[in-house]
Amino acid sequence: MSHILRSKRRNGLALALVAALTSAMALTIWGAFRAHSAVPRTGALKVQSGLQEPPGPFVRGNGLFAEKGGRSQLAAAVSGAMIGPLSSVAVRSPDGRLVAYNTWQEHRAVDSEQSFSNQSIADGDVLGTPSLRVRDESGKDSLLERGAYSAAWREDGAIAFVKGADPDFRAGRSYDGQVVVRPGIHGRDAAWTKQPAHYVVYAWAGQRLLFYRVGLGEKLELLVADAPGSVRSLAEGSAIALSPDATRVAVLSQDATNVRVLAVATGSELAWLDVTTATPPLAWLSYSGSWVGDHIVTPASAGLAVLHLGSGSLELEQVLSLDHAQFPVGVQQPRFVDDDGNEIAASADIPPSNGKAAVSFLLVCDRVVRSCERGESAPAKEWLRFVDRTADASEGGH
Amino acid sequence: MKIRAAIAAAVLAVTLVVPANAFGYHTWFEFTRQSNIASTLTMAWEYGPGFYGTQSWRAGSGVSTDACWIGHGWLPTGYYDLWGHWDNYGGKIAGRVFYLQNKPCWNGTWRTELFVHSEETAGQGQYCPTAGDDPYCWEGPSDYYSNGCIKVSRAGNPSDLRLVHDGWHAKSGDYRHGSFAINNWLFVRDG
Repeated sequence: MSHILRSKRRNGLALALVAALTSAMALTIWGAFRAHSAVPRTGALKVQSGLQEPPGPFVRGNGLFAEKGGRSQLAAAVSGAMIGPLSSVAVRSPDGRLVAYNTWQEHRAVDSEQSFSNQSIADGDVLGTPSLRVRDESGKDSLLERGAYSAAWREDGAIAFVKGADPDFRAGRSYDGQVVVRPGIHGRDAAWTKQPAHYVVYAWAGQRLLFYRVGLGEKLELLVADAPGSVRSLAEGSAIALSPDATRVAVLSQDATNVRVLAVATGSELAWLDVTTATPPLAWLSYSGSWVGDHIVTPASAGLAVLHLGSGSLELEQVLSLDHAQFPVGVQQPRFVDDDGNEIAASADIPPSNGKAAVSFLLVCDRVVRSCERGESAPAKEWLRFVDRTADASEGGH
Repeated sequence: MKIRAAIAAAVLAVTLVVPANAFGYHTWFEFTRQSNIASTLTMAWEYGPGFYGTQSWRAGSGVSTDACWIGHGWLPTGYYDLWGHWDNYGGKIAGRVFYLQNKPCWNGTWRTELFVHSEETAGQGQYCPTAGDDPYCWEGPSDYYSNGCIKVSRAGNPSDLRLVHDGWHAKSGDYRHGSFAINNWLFVRDG
Protein backbone atom coordinates (compact mmCIF):
# COMPACT_ATOMS: atom_id res chain seq x y z
CA MET A 1 0.00 0.00 0.00
CA SER A 2 2.69 2.35 1.07
CA HIS A 3 4.64 1.32 -2.04
CA ILE A 4 1.67 2.25 -4.22
CA LEU A 5 1.29 5.53 -2.37
CA ARG A 6 4.99 6.25 -2.71
CA SER A 7 4.80 5.37 -6.38
CA LYS A 8 1.80 7.63 -6.88
CA ARG A 9 3.54 10.38 -4.93
CA ARG A 10 6.64 9.97 -7.11
CA ASN A 11 4.52 10.11 -10.24
CA GLY A 12 2.76 13.19 -8.92
CA LEU A 13 6.05 14.88 -8.11
CA ALA A 14 7.42 14.01 -11.51
CA LEU A 15 4.33 15.41 -13.20
CA ALA A 16 4.55 18.59 -11.12
CA LEU A 17 8.22 18.93 -11.96
CA VAL A 18 7.59 18.45 -15.67
CA ALA A 19 4.72 20.95 -15.51
CA ALA A 20 6.89 23.47 -13.66
CA LEU A 21 9.77 23.06 -16.10
CA THR A 22 7.44 23.33 -19.08
CA SER A 23 5.89 26.48 -17.62
CA ALA A 24 9.31 27.97 -16.93
CA MET A 25 10.48 27.20 -20.44
CA ALA A 26 7.29 28.63 -21.93
CA LEU A 27 7.67 31.75 -19.82
CA THR A 28 11.31 32.13 -20.86
CA ILE A 29 10.51 31.69 -24.54
CA TRP A 30 7.50 33.99 -24.29
CA GLY A 31 9.53 36.57 -22.40
CA ALA A 32 12.31 36.49 -24.91
CA PHE A 33 9.85 36.58 -27.79
CA ARG A 34 7.97 39.48 -26.20
CA ALA A 35 11.21 41.38 -25.55
CA HIS A 36 12.49 41.06 -29.09
CA SER A 37 9.17 41.53 -30.84
CA ALA A 38 8.45 44.63 -28.77
CA VAL A 39 8.71 48.05 -30.32
CA PRO A 40 11.87 49.80 -29.15
CA ARG A 41 10.84 52.73 -27.01
CA THR A 42 12.55 55.92 -25.93
CA GLY A 43 13.91 55.75 -22.41
CA ALA A 44 16.91 55.49 -20.18
CA LEU A 45 19.55 52.85 -20.71
CA LYS A 46 20.38 50.71 -17.69
CA VAL A 47 24.10 50.00 -17.66
CA GLN A 48 25.74 47.27 -15.64
CA SER A 49 29.22 45.81 -15.65
CA GLY A 50 29.98 42.30 -16.77
CA LEU A 51 30.61 42.37 -20.49
CA GLN A 52 32.53 39.11 -20.98
CA GLU A 53 32.51 38.59 -24.72
CA PRO A 54 32.48 41.73 -26.84
CA PRO A 55 30.69 41.18 -30.15
CA GLY A 56 33.83 41.70 -32.21
CA PRO A 57 37.58 42.20 -32.09
CA PHE A 58 38.94 45.32 -30.45
CA VAL A 59 42.22 47.10 -29.88
CA ARG A 60 43.77 48.58 -26.78
CA GLY A 61 47.31 49.91 -26.50
CA ASN A 62 49.53 47.46 -28.35
CA GLY A 63 47.04 44.61 -28.15
CA LEU A 64 44.56 43.21 -30.65
CA PHE A 65 41.89 41.23 -28.85
CA ALA A 66 39.62 38.58 -30.34
CA GLU A 67 36.01 38.55 -29.19
CA LYS A 68 36.59 35.22 -27.41
CA GLY A 69 39.44 36.64 -25.39
CA GLY A 70 42.70 35.93 -27.23
CA ARG A 71 45.29 38.68 -27.35
CA SER A 72 47.75 39.37 -30.16
CA GLN A 73 50.68 41.72 -29.88
CA LEU A 74 50.80 44.76 -32.15
CA ALA A 75 54.17 46.24 -33.11
CA ALA A 76 53.08 49.71 -31.98
CA ALA A 77 50.32 51.10 -29.78
CA VAL A 78 47.13 52.21 -31.51
CA SER A 79 46.30 55.92 -31.43
CA GLY A 80 43.71 58.15 -33.00
CA ALA A 81 45.71 61.31 -32.31
CA MET A 82 45.13 62.63 -35.82
CA ILE A 83 41.55 61.46 -36.29
CA GLY A 84 39.66 61.38 -32.99
CA PRO A 85 36.30 59.74 -33.71
CA LEU A 86 36.20 60.96 -37.34
CA SER A 87 37.57 57.68 -38.61
CA SER A 88 38.27 54.23 -37.23
CA VAL A 89 41.44 53.61 -35.25
CA ALA A 90 41.66 50.04 -36.57
CA VAL A 91 39.98 48.55 -39.65
CA ARG A 92 39.81 44.98 -40.89
CA SER A 93 40.29 44.15 -44.57
CA PRO A 94 37.32 42.77 -46.56
CA ASP A 95 38.74 39.24 -46.48
CA GLY A 96 39.27 39.51 -42.73
CA ARG A 97 42.96 38.61 -42.91
CA LEU A 98 44.47 42.04 -42.29
CA VAL A 99 43.98 44.79 -39.74
CA ALA A 100 45.22 48.30 -40.56
CA TYR A 101 45.74 50.48 -37.50
CA ASN A 102 46.73 54.05 -36.68
CA THR A 103 49.73 54.76 -34.48
CA TRP A 104 51.45 57.83 -33.09
CA GLN A 105 55.18 58.02 -32.46
CA GLU A 106 55.77 60.73 -29.89
CA HIS A 107 58.98 62.68 -30.44
CA ARG A 108 58.54 64.76 -27.35
CA ALA A 109 56.01 64.65 -24.57
CA VAL A 110 53.45 67.44 -24.61
CA ASP A 111 51.68 68.44 -21.42
CA SER A 112 48.17 69.29 -22.61
CA GLU A 113 47.64 71.66 -19.69
CA GLN A 114 50.64 73.80 -20.61
CA SER A 115 51.17 76.06 -23.59
CA PHE A 116 53.87 75.31 -26.12
CA SER A 117 55.89 78.29 -24.91
CA ASN A 118 55.79 77.00 -21.31
CA GLN A 119 57.35 73.78 -22.56
CA SER A 120 59.95 75.51 -24.73
CA ILE A 121 58.32 74.12 -27.85
CA ALA A 122 59.28 76.35 -30.75
CA ASP A 123 57.53 76.92 -34.03
CA GLY A 124 58.34 74.01 -36.33
CA ASP A 125 59.48 71.60 -33.62
CA VAL A 126 58.59 67.99 -34.38
CA LEU A 127 56.05 66.72 -31.86
CA GLY A 128 55.20 63.33 -33.31
CA THR A 129 54.67 61.21 -36.39
CA PRO A 130 51.46 59.38 -37.29
CA SER A 131 51.88 56.08 -39.11
CA LEU A 132 49.70 53.30 -40.44
CA ARG A 133 50.63 49.70 -39.80
CA VAL A 134 49.10 46.43 -41.00
CA ARG A 135 48.98 43.18 -39.11
CA ASP A 136 48.11 39.92 -40.86
CA GLU A 137 46.56 36.80 -39.38
CA SER A 138 49.96 35.09 -39.12
CA GLY A 139 51.13 37.86 -36.79
CA LYS A 140 53.33 39.67 -39.29
CA ASP A 141 53.15 43.37 -38.52
CA SER A 142 54.50 45.82 -41.08
CA LEU A 143 54.61 49.55 -41.66
CA LEU A 144 52.13 50.58 -44.33
CA GLU A 145 53.28 54.21 -44.43
CA ARG A 146 55.07 56.61 -42.15
CA GLY A 147 53.44 60.04 -41.96
CA ALA A 148 49.99 58.62 -42.71
CA TYR A 149 46.67 58.11 -40.97
CA SER A 150 42.95 57.22 -41.43
CA ALA A 151 42.65 54.02 -43.47
CA ALA A 152 39.70 52.55 -45.38
CA TRP A 153 39.75 49.27 -47.29
CA ARG A 154 38.00 48.93 -50.63
CA GLU A 155 36.20 45.67 -51.48
CA ASP A 156 39.05 44.60 -53.79
CA GLY A 157 41.66 45.07 -51.06
CA ALA A 158 42.89 48.53 -52.10
CA ILE A 159 43.47 50.84 -49.17
CA ALA A 160 42.92 54.59 -48.99
CA PHE A 161 44.63 56.85 -46.47
CA VAL A 162 46.01 60.33 -45.92
CA LYS A 163 49.72 60.76 -46.60
CA GLY A 164 51.28 63.83 -45.00
CA ALA A 165 53.28 66.24 -47.14
CA ASP A 166 55.73 66.24 -44.24
CA PRO A 167 55.56 62.99 -42.27
CA ASP A 168 56.12 64.81 -38.98
CA PHE A 169 53.52 66.74 -37.04
CA ARG A 170 55.11 70.06 -36.09
CA ALA A 171 54.20 72.82 -33.67
CA GLY A 172 52.73 75.83 -35.40
CA ARG A 173 52.13 74.05 -38.70
CA SER A 174 49.04 72.59 -40.32
CA TYR A 175 49.36 68.89 -41.08
CA ASP A 176 48.49 68.93 -44.75
CA GLY A 177 48.57 65.89 -46.96
CA GLN A 178 47.03 64.12 -49.92
CA VAL A 179 44.47 61.34 -50.02
CA VAL A 180 46.11 58.38 -51.73
CA VAL A 181 44.99 54.89 -52.70
CA ARG A 182 47.31 51.90 -52.73
CA PRO A 183 46.22 48.77 -54.64
CA GLY A 184 47.08 46.59 -51.64
CA ILE A 185 49.51 46.68 -48.76
CA HIS A 186 52.20 46.74 -51.43
CA GLY A 187 52.06 48.79 -54.57
CA ARG A 188 52.29 52.30 -55.82
CA ASP A 189 50.17 55.06 -54.32
CA ALA A 190 47.86 57.06 -56.56
CA ALA A 191 46.86 60.51 -55.33
CA TRP A 192 43.08 61.03 -55.37
CA THR A 193 43.29 64.69 -54.35
CA LYS A 194 45.01 67.46 -56.26
CA GLN A 195 45.57 70.03 -53.51
CA PRO A 196 47.23 69.24 -50.20
CA ALA A 197 44.98 70.01 -47.24
CA HIS A 198 44.03 68.67 -43.84
CA TYR A 199 42.09 65.55 -44.89
CA VAL A 200 40.69 62.56 -43.01
CA VAL A 201 39.56 59.44 -44.91
CA TYR A 202 36.11 58.23 -43.88
CA ALA A 203 34.99 55.23 -45.99
CA TRP A 204 34.56 53.74 -49.40
CA ALA A 205 31.13 53.87 -50.98
CA GLY A 206 31.62 51.21 -53.62
CA GLN A 207 34.24 52.64 -55.98
CA ARG A 208 33.80 56.15 -54.59
CA LEU A 209 35.80 57.42 -51.67
CA LEU A 210 34.35 59.63 -48.92
CA PHE A 211 36.71 61.81 -46.92
CA TYR A 212 36.77 65.02 -44.92
CA ARG A 213 38.53 68.30 -45.39
CA VAL A 214 39.07 69.89 -41.98
CA GLY A 215 38.98 73.65 -42.37
CA LEU A 216 39.48 76.72 -40.24
CA GLY A 217 37.85 76.34 -36.87
CA GLU A 218 37.69 72.56 -37.50
CA LYS A 219 34.77 73.06 -39.85
CA LEU A 220 34.18 69.74 -41.57
CA GLU A 221 33.38 69.31 -45.23
CA LEU A 222 32.48 65.87 -46.56
CA LEU A 223 33.98 65.27 -49.99
CA VAL A 224 33.52 62.43 -52.44
CA ALA A 225 36.05 61.34 -55.04
CA ASP A 226 34.52 59.50 -58.00
CA ALA A 227 37.99 58.73 -59.33
CA PRO A 228 41.53 60.01 -58.84
CA GLY A 229 41.46 63.80 -59.11
CA SER A 230 37.69 63.94 -59.50
CA VAL A 231 36.62 65.39 -56.16
CA ARG A 232 33.37 67.14 -55.32
CA SER A 233 31.81 68.46 -52.15
CA LEU A 234 28.99 66.33 -50.82
CA ALA A 235 28.03 68.34 -47.74
CA GLU A 236 29.18 70.94 -45.26
CA GLY A 237 29.31 68.86 -42.13
CA SER A 238 30.04 65.26 -41.26
CA ALA A 239 28.95 61.71 -42.05
CA ILE A 240 26.73 59.75 -39.71
CA ALA A 241 26.66 56.51 -41.69
CA LEU A 242 26.79 54.91 -45.08
CA SER A 243 23.85 52.74 -46.21
CA PRO A 244 24.45 48.97 -46.42
CA ASP A 245 24.32 49.12 -50.23
CA ALA A 246 26.80 52.05 -50.13
CA THR A 247 24.61 54.23 -52.37
CA ARG A 248 23.43 56.67 -49.69
CA VAL A 249 25.03 58.52 -46.85
CA ALA A 250 23.41 60.19 -43.84
CA VAL A 251 25.12 63.52 -43.25
CA LEU A 252 24.96 65.92 -40.34
CA SER A 253 24.92 69.71 -40.67
CA GLN A 254 27.68 71.91 -39.24
CA ASP A 255 25.45 72.88 -36.33
CA ALA A 256 24.79 69.17 -35.64
CA THR A 257 21.01 69.51 -35.68
CA ASN A 258 19.96 68.51 -39.20
CA VAL A 259 20.32 65.09 -40.81
CA ARG A 260 20.06 64.62 -44.54
CA VAL A 261 20.20 61.39 -46.49
CA LEU A 262 22.03 61.98 -49.76
CA ALA A 263 22.62 59.87 -52.83
CA VAL A 264 26.39 59.45 -52.99
CA ALA A 265 26.42 59.38 -56.81
CA THR A 266 24.55 62.64 -57.33
CA GLY A 267 24.47 64.43 -53.98
CA SER A 268 20.68 64.72 -54.26
CA GLU A 269 18.72 64.85 -51.02
CA LEU A 270 16.47 61.88 -50.35
CA ALA A 271 15.26 62.64 -46.82
CA TRP A 272 15.72 65.23 -44.11
CA LEU A 273 15.17 65.62 -40.36
CA ASP A 274 15.64 68.46 -37.88
CA VAL A 275 16.24 66.73 -34.55
CA THR A 276 15.55 69.86 -32.52
CA THR A 277 11.88 69.67 -33.55
CA ALA A 278 11.59 65.88 -33.45
CA THR A 279 9.85 63.93 -30.69
CA PRO A 280 11.55 63.94 -28.29
CA PRO A 281 13.64 66.95 -29.34
CA LEU A 282 17.41 66.61 -29.23
CA ALA A 283 20.01 69.37 -28.92
CA TRP A 284 22.45 67.66 -31.25
CA LEU A 285 23.62 64.51 -32.97
CA SER A 286 27.17 63.57 -33.80
CA TYR A 287 29.03 61.77 -36.57
CA SER A 288 30.39 58.22 -37.00
CA GLY A 289 27.34 56.05 -36.43
CA SER A 290 26.07 52.93 -38.18
CA TRP A 291 23.31 51.90 -40.62
CA VAL A 292 21.59 48.51 -40.87
CA GLY A 293 18.43 47.91 -42.90
CA ASP A 294 16.35 51.05 -42.49
CA HIS A 295 17.88 52.03 -39.16
CA ILE A 296 20.67 54.43 -38.33
CA VAL A 297 22.25 54.80 -34.90
CA THR A 298 24.39 57.75 -33.90
CA PRO A 299 25.63 59.58 -30.80
CA ALA A 300 23.21 62.21 -29.53
CA SER A 301 23.03 64.85 -26.83
CA ALA A 302 20.98 62.48 -24.68
CA GLY A 303 23.09 59.41 -25.42
CA LEU A 304 22.10 57.52 -28.55
CA ALA A 305 19.56 58.22 -31.27
CA VAL A 306 18.08 55.65 -33.62
CA LEU A 307 16.63 57.03 -36.84
CA HIS A 308 14.28 55.18 -39.18
CA LEU A 309 14.36 55.82 -42.90
CA GLY A 310 11.00 55.23 -44.57
CA SER A 311 10.14 55.91 -48.17
CA GLY A 312 11.43 59.43 -48.48
CA SER A 313 11.04 60.25 -44.82
CA LEU A 314 13.46 60.18 -41.95
CA GLU A 315 12.15 59.99 -38.41
CA LEU A 316 13.55 59.79 -34.92
CA GLU A 317 12.47 56.32 -33.81
CA GLN A 318 14.15 56.07 -30.42
CA VAL A 319 16.28 58.03 -28.01
CA LEU A 320 18.34 55.99 -25.55
CA SER A 321 19.44 58.27 -22.77
CA LEU A 322 22.51 57.75 -20.64
CA ASP A 323 23.03 58.96 -17.08
CA HIS A 324 25.03 62.17 -17.51
CA ALA A 325 26.81 61.69 -14.19
CA GLN A 326 27.98 58.25 -15.30
CA PHE A 327 28.65 59.18 -18.94
CA PRO A 328 29.44 62.92 -19.00
CA VAL A 329 30.44 62.91 -22.66
CA GLY A 330 28.22 60.09 -23.92
CA VAL A 331 29.40 57.37 -26.30
CA GLN A 332 31.30 57.28 -29.56
CA GLN A 333 31.16 55.32 -32.80
CA PRO A 334 28.07 53.19 -32.05
CA ARG A 335 27.68 50.16 -34.31
CA PHE A 336 24.76 47.80 -34.89
CA VAL A 337 26.07 44.33 -34.23
CA ASP A 338 23.09 42.23 -35.32
CA ASP A 339 21.16 42.09 -38.56
CA ASP A 340 17.94 43.26 -36.89
CA GLY A 341 19.52 46.45 -35.63
CA ASN A 342 18.64 45.74 -32.02
CA GLU A 343 22.09 45.37 -30.50
CA ILE A 344 24.49 48.29 -30.42
CA ALA A 345 28.18 48.29 -29.52
CA ALA A 346 30.06 51.50 -28.75
CA SER A 347 32.97 52.93 -26.84
CA ALA A 348 32.57 55.42 -24.01
CA ASP A 349 35.10 57.80 -22.53
CA ILE A 350 35.11 59.36 -19.09
CA PRO A 351 37.15 62.59 -19.06
CA PRO A 352 39.60 63.25 -16.24
CA SER A 353 38.09 64.72 -13.11
CA ASN A 354 39.17 65.38 -9.54
CA GLY A 355 42.64 64.03 -10.19
CA LYS A 356 41.39 60.81 -11.76
CA ALA A 357 42.78 60.04 -15.21
CA ALA A 358 40.45 59.63 -18.19
CA VAL A 359 39.27 56.10 -18.94
CA SER A 360 37.47 54.27 -21.74
CA PHE A 361 35.38 51.13 -21.90
CA LEU A 362 33.27 49.16 -24.33
CA LEU A 363 29.50 49.03 -24.14
CA VAL A 364 27.06 46.59 -25.69
CA CYS A 365 23.40 47.54 -25.50
CA ASP A 366 20.08 45.93 -26.33
CA ARG A 367 17.87 48.75 -27.49
CA VAL A 368 14.65 46.75 -27.08
CA VAL A 369 15.04 46.07 -23.38
CA ARG A 370 17.20 49.21 -22.97
CA SER A 371 20.03 47.61 -21.06
CA CYS A 372 23.78 47.61 -21.57
CA GLU A 373 26.74 45.67 -20.36
CA ARG A 374 30.04 47.44 -19.95
CA GLY A 375 33.50 46.00 -20.11
CA GLU A 376 36.55 46.74 -18.01
CA SER A 377 37.91 50.26 -18.10
CA ALA A 378 41.22 51.15 -19.70
CA PRO A 379 43.26 54.38 -19.69
CA ALA A 380 41.80 56.67 -22.38
CA LYS A 381 45.25 57.09 -23.93
CA GLU A 382 45.23 53.37 -24.80
CA TRP A 383 42.45 53.95 -27.35
CA LEU A 384 40.18 51.05 -26.46
CA ARG A 385 38.05 50.73 -29.63
CA PHE A 386 36.29 48.07 -31.68
CA VAL A 387 37.95 47.07 -34.93
CA ASP A 388 35.80 48.25 -37.82
CA ARG A 389 34.93 46.45 -41.01
CA THR A 390 34.54 49.38 -43.34
CA ALA A 391 34.16 47.38 -46.54
CA ASP A 392 31.56 44.97 -45.24
CA ALA A 393 28.34 46.03 -46.94
CA SER A 394 26.14 43.77 -44.85
CA GLU A 395 27.20 45.58 -41.71
CA GLY A 396 26.35 49.00 -42.98
CA GLY A 397 28.61 51.93 -43.14
CA HIS A 398 31.11 53.04 -40.70
CA MET B 1 65.40 120.80 -42.06
CA LYS B 2 68.20 118.39 -41.33
CA ILE B 3 67.38 118.59 -37.62
CA ARG B 4 63.69 117.78 -38.28
CA ALA B 5 64.70 114.81 -40.42
CA ALA B 6 67.06 113.61 -37.73
CA ILE B 7 64.35 113.86 -35.06
CA ALA B 8 61.87 112.01 -37.28
CA ALA B 9 64.44 109.29 -37.91
CA ALA B 10 65.15 109.01 -34.20
CA VAL B 11 61.43 108.74 -33.38
CA LEU B 12 61.01 106.10 -36.05
CA ALA B 13 63.98 104.17 -34.75
CA VAL B 14 62.62 104.26 -31.20
CA THR B 15 59.19 103.13 -32.45
CA LEU B 16 60.73 100.19 -34.23
CA VAL B 17 62.78 98.98 -31.32
CA VAL B 18 60.18 99.46 -28.59
CA PRO B 19 58.33 96.21 -27.81
CA ALA B 20 54.74 96.03 -29.07
CA ASN B 21 53.23 96.38 -25.60
CA ALA B 22 55.67 98.80 -24.02
CA PHE B 23 52.84 101.24 -23.33
CA GLY B 24 50.27 98.69 -22.19
CA TYR B 25 49.58 96.25 -19.41
CA HIS B 26 50.28 92.57 -19.27
CA THR B 27 46.96 91.34 -20.67
CA TRP B 28 45.54 87.85 -21.19
CA PHE B 29 42.24 86.00 -21.53
CA GLU B 30 40.56 83.26 -19.52
CA PHE B 31 37.78 81.04 -20.82
CA THR B 32 35.70 79.38 -18.11
CA ARG B 33 33.85 76.36 -19.50
CA GLN B 34 30.33 76.24 -18.12
CA SER B 35 28.20 75.19 -21.09
CA ASN B 36 28.59 75.17 -24.85
CA ILE B 37 26.60 78.35 -25.34
CA ALA B 38 26.91 80.11 -22.00
CA SER B 39 30.48 80.13 -20.81
CA THR B 40 32.56 83.16 -19.82
CA LEU B 41 35.43 84.83 -21.60
CA THR B 42 37.34 87.19 -19.32
CA MET B 43 40.04 89.68 -20.27
CA ALA B 44 42.44 90.37 -17.43
CA TRP B 45 45.20 92.94 -17.19
CA GLU B 46 47.71 93.79 -14.52
CA TYR B 47 47.78 97.56 -14.13
CA GLY B 48 50.20 97.50 -11.22
CA PRO B 49 52.09 94.86 -9.26
CA GLY B 50 49.34 92.72 -7.77
CA PHE B 51 46.54 94.92 -9.13
CA TYR B 52 44.29 93.42 -11.78
CA GLY B 53 41.41 94.62 -13.88
CA THR B 54 38.92 92.31 -15.61
CA GLN B 55 36.11 92.47 -18.11
CA SER B 56 33.92 89.48 -19.01
CA TRP B 57 31.59 88.46 -21.80
CA ARG B 58 29.33 85.53 -22.53
CA ALA B 59 31.01 83.09 -24.92
CA GLY B 60 30.53 79.63 -26.36
CA SER B 61 32.59 76.72 -27.60
CA GLY B 62 31.76 73.44 -29.33
CA VAL B 63 28.48 71.57 -29.47
CA SER B 64 29.34 68.92 -26.91
CA THR B 65 31.51 68.92 -23.79
CA ASP B 66 33.86 66.21 -25.07
CA ALA B 67 37.13 68.06 -25.75
CA CYS B 68 38.41 65.07 -27.75
CA TRP B 69 35.68 65.27 -30.40
CA ILE B 70 37.22 66.99 -33.47
CA GLY B 71 34.89 69.57 -34.98
CA HIS B 72 32.30 68.98 -32.29
CA GLY B 73 33.59 69.26 -28.72
CA TRP B 74 34.63 72.32 -26.78
CA LEU B 75 38.24 73.44 -26.29
CA PRO B 76 40.56 71.39 -24.11
CA THR B 77 41.61 72.97 -20.84
CA GLY B 78 45.03 74.53 -20.30
CA TYR B 79 47.21 77.40 -21.45
CA TYR B 80 47.32 78.50 -25.08
CA ASP B 81 49.79 80.66 -26.96
CA LEU B 82 48.40 83.13 -29.48
CA TRP B 83 49.65 82.56 -33.02
CA GLY B 84 48.20 85.60 -34.72
CA HIS B 85 45.51 88.21 -34.94
CA TRP B 86 43.75 89.63 -37.98
CA ASP B 87 41.11 92.32 -38.44
CA ASN B 88 39.89 91.31 -41.88
CA TYR B 89 40.41 87.58 -42.03
CA GLY B 90 38.87 86.04 -45.12
CA GLY B 91 37.50 82.53 -45.22
CA LYS B 92 34.91 80.40 -43.48
CA ILE B 93 35.94 82.24 -40.35
CA ALA B 94 36.12 85.95 -41.12
CA GLY B 95 36.61 89.41 -39.75
CA ARG B 96 38.31 89.98 -36.40
CA VAL B 97 39.95 86.73 -35.31
CA PHE B 98 42.53 85.52 -32.79
CA TYR B 99 44.37 82.33 -33.80
CA LEU B 100 45.28 79.81 -31.09
CA GLN B 101 47.95 77.13 -30.88
CA ASN B 102 47.09 73.46 -31.43
CA LYS B 103 46.31 71.46 -28.32
CA PRO B 104 46.00 67.73 -27.52
CA CYS B 105 43.02 66.70 -25.43
CA TRP B 106 43.13 64.14 -22.63
CA ASN B 107 43.32 61.07 -24.90
CA GLY B 108 45.93 62.63 -27.18
CA THR B 109 43.66 63.77 -30.04
CA TRP B 110 45.00 66.97 -31.56
CA ARG B 111 42.61 69.88 -31.78
CA THR B 112 43.71 72.29 -34.48
CA GLU B 113 42.73 75.41 -36.45
CA LEU B 114 41.11 77.02 -33.41
CA PHE B 115 40.20 80.70 -33.07
CA VAL B 116 38.43 83.24 -30.93
CA HIS B 117 35.96 84.88 -33.29
CA SER B 118 32.32 85.69 -34.01
CA GLU B 119 30.11 85.70 -37.10
CA GLU B 120 30.93 88.60 -39.38
CA THR B 121 32.29 89.24 -42.85
CA ALA B 122 35.91 89.92 -43.69
CA GLY B 123 34.93 93.60 -43.78
CA GLN B 124 33.57 93.28 -40.21
CA GLY B 125 29.99 93.58 -41.42
CA GLN B 126 26.92 91.41 -41.20
CA TYR B 127 25.65 89.36 -44.14
CA CYS B 128 22.25 87.85 -43.49
CA PRO B 129 20.76 86.80 -46.83
CA THR B 130 18.47 84.02 -45.60
CA ALA B 131 15.96 83.45 -42.84
CA GLY B 132 18.09 80.57 -41.60
CA ASP B 133 21.52 80.41 -39.99
CA ASP B 134 23.97 82.42 -42.09
CA PRO B 135 27.69 81.98 -41.35
CA TYR B 136 28.53 85.69 -41.40
CA CYS B 137 25.45 86.82 -39.48
CA TRP B 138 24.85 86.79 -35.74
CA GLU B 139 21.24 85.65 -35.41
CA GLY B 140 21.11 84.83 -31.71
CA PRO B 141 22.25 82.55 -28.88
CA SER B 142 22.48 79.45 -31.08
CA ASP B 143 25.41 81.16 -32.80
CA TYR B 144 27.48 80.61 -29.68
CA TYR B 145 27.75 76.96 -30.80
CA SER B 146 30.93 76.22 -32.71
CA ASN B 147 33.04 73.33 -33.98
CA GLY B 148 35.45 74.02 -31.13
CA CYS B 149 36.41 77.70 -31.40
CA ILE B 150 35.52 80.27 -28.76
CA LYS B 151 32.75 82.53 -30.05
CA VAL B 152 31.51 85.85 -28.73
CA SER B 153 28.48 87.84 -29.80
CA ARG B 154 28.46 90.17 -32.77
CA ALA B 155 25.08 91.65 -31.74
CA GLY B 156 24.59 95.16 -30.37
CA ASN B 157 26.68 98.27 -30.64
CA PRO B 158 29.35 97.99 -29.52
CA SER B 159 29.30 94.23 -29.95
CA ASP B 160 31.12 91.91 -27.57
CA LEU B 161 33.51 91.11 -30.39
CA ARG B 162 34.39 94.76 -30.72
CA LEU B 163 34.86 95.08 -26.96
CA VAL B 164 37.14 92.05 -26.94
CA HIS B 165 39.09 93.29 -29.92
CA ASP B 166 39.40 96.92 -28.91
CA GLY B 167 39.91 95.99 -25.27
CA TRP B 168 42.83 93.74 -26.20
CA HIS B 169 44.57 96.47 -28.16
CA ALA B 170 43.88 99.19 -25.59
CA LYS B 171 44.90 97.24 -22.51
CA SER B 172 47.86 95.39 -23.95
CA GLY B 173 49.09 98.25 -26.08
CA ASP B 174 49.80 95.56 -28.68
CA TYR B 175 48.53 96.65 -32.08
CA ARG B 176 50.21 93.97 -34.15
CA HIS B 177 48.31 92.13 -36.83
CA GLY B 178 49.15 89.03 -38.82
CA SER B 179 51.15 86.04 -37.62
CA PHE B 180 53.03 86.53 -34.36
CA ALA B 181 53.20 84.75 -31.05
CA ILE B 182 52.22 85.74 -27.53
CA ASN B 183 52.94 83.24 -24.81
CA ASN B 184 50.12 82.08 -22.54
CA TRP B 185 47.57 84.40 -24.11
CA LEU B 186 44.59 82.24 -23.11
CA PHE B 187 43.84 79.96 -20.18
CA VAL B 188 40.91 77.55 -20.46
CA ARG B 189 39.50 75.98 -17.31
CA ASP B 190 36.31 74.41 -16.01
CA GLY B 191 33.83 76.63 -14.24
